[in-house]
Amino acid sequence: MRESGLIPIVKVGRLVTFARLVPIVLGVLIGGSLAVPPAGPAPVARAQEAAQENDTCLACHTAPGMVLRLPSTELISVTIDPVRFKDSAHGRAVTCTTCHPDNAAVPHPAVKVRTMREYRDLRSEVCATCHTDAVEKFGASVHGRARQMGFGDAPNCTTCHNPHDAARVKTPAFRNNTPQLCGTCHADPAVMRKYGLRAVYTAYVSEFHGVTTALYRLTEPQSPTPAAICTDCHGGHAIRAASDPASTVHPANVLATCRSCHPTAGRFFATAWTEHRTPAPDASPLVFYVQLFYRILIPATVGFLGLLTVLDLGRWATDQLRRGRGQ
Amino acid sequence: MSGGHVARFTLAQRIEHFVLIISFNALAFTGLPQKYFQAGWAERIIQLLGGIERVRFIHRTFAVILLAEAAWHIGAVAAARRAGRERGDMNLSFRDVREVIGDIAYLLGLRAEKPAFGRFDYRQKLEYWAVVWGTAVMAITGLIMWFPETLARAFPGVLVPAARVAHGGEALLAILAVIIWHFYNAHFRPDIFPMDPAMWTGSIELERLRHDHRAEYERLAEAGLAGTEERPPS
Repeated sequence: MRESGLIPIVKVGRLVTFARLVPIVLGVLIGGSLAVPPAGPAPVARAQEAAQENDTCLACHTAPGMVLRLPSTELISVTIDPVRFKDSAHGRAVTCTTCHPDNAAVPHPAVKVRTMREYRDLRSEVCATCHTDAVEKFGASVHGRARQMGFGDAPNCTTCHNPHDAARVKTPAFRNNTPQLCGTCHADPAVMRKYGLRAVYTAYVSEFHGVTTALYRLTEPQSPTPAAICTDCHGGHAIRAASDPASTVHPANVLATCRSCHPTAGRFFATAWTEHRTPAPDASPLVFYVQLFYRILIPATVGFLGLLTVLDLGRWATDQLRRGRGQ
Repeated sequence: MSGGHVARFTLAQRIEHFVLIISFNALAFTGLPQKYFQAGWAERIIQLLGGIERVRFIHRTFAVILLAEAAWHIGAVAAARRAGRERGDMNLSFRDVREVIGDIAYLLGLRAEKPAFGRFDYRQKLEYWAVVWGTAVMAITGLIMWFPETLARAFPGVLVPAARVAHGGEALLAILAVIIWHFYNAHFRPDIFPMDPAMWTGSIELERLRHDHRAEYERLAEAGLAGTEERPPS
């Protein structure tokens, strides 16, 4: 179809068309030859410049124990591990001043923030300049909304992500360590109580998924755990409260979430999950009573068998003594 | 009288026991590190075996071997019963309760004589039924954990974490029972140390039978010591 349309045009105005094409072709060639060579060495030059610029910063910022003291007396470490930074996603893409433009001046201008919280809020605005999608999702999440409402314990970008470190989120190391990361807050009953939450981390680490993940972290750090980690069920940046109907772990959605890894899961499967509660008479009572049964049965059996063994040895010893005396 | 032996275990039963030793130990060795995963020794065992997936694979392989053996055992007992070879020597009855009390009295020095035990005394019966009960519990709870998706088609999912607790508890119970009860009664008892040869040779000395299983000895004596033979332990 397209060819049959083109052929007549070429036939009718062949000369005119070719004459018109000459300057276009020439223009493209000349323009290209001018444009391309500078474009070639530029990234190399830029990379060199960037490396030089970073080296300037790292001349000071590799010294161990460098800290920034905020008016709130909180300390921020400003020592950078150059190897880890260079190997990180940021180390390959941006320079120090991409995120810290004010600090191009030496000495650096005074930090205006007063607390760690203000500092982190300020930093996440920097993250938003590139990571728009993640920041947008995070803003609508339970963490992001809590942050906006002014709850200081709620996390921000840099609470979970270290922009200077190599631990990229797609690495097995990051995946296997995620429960510990969430546990920074979700294992602390004092922090959780303020928000009417339980310290779910403690229960998670002794559940099926938690045990497998812990074993991977300990014995196979190079392989990503196949068991569910926090974010597999709850979501990452877009995490919602479990009571939110839009949450992936809301009672109405949890079976579907289970089936994303257990596609053949039967309809009662979701109750296999003990709601990250330590079994008690009012939380998974069956599990609790089975536990109690063995907590009684094991010492009782061991005690009874041990007693019979001791009695048996005692009788043997007495017989030996008697025999000895008899001789 | 001395030197005479009475058949106690058939070759098939001794092989069965040997398979049980292998599978029980392999299951304990690959199971305990999963139960106590936070301990340093557990981590080292898992690393030694090549990671948790391999540990689970080995565990399930030996679980299948044990299940096959359990099926074989049920079949063998049923066949023996049908052929009339099975006299119910392992059956539990009220007599065992009396013998436990009687034995405790004897051990305490309140009685001069041991109760007249049958072919198997209460210790051996207890151990046998503990293995039967334990294998059943371990098989059911293990299969629940192996196929939780299938279970949840018809049964409440909470059986899965309950099965996990029961599997760990029963495992610990079985291991402790073997260490205390079986090791003492079949290995460390001063008169039989280092081991009761019956499970190795398949026969028991007549003299020991008279002492430890008097009722059985008397039954055989009445029947003219049928089934006894003059042969040294092979």
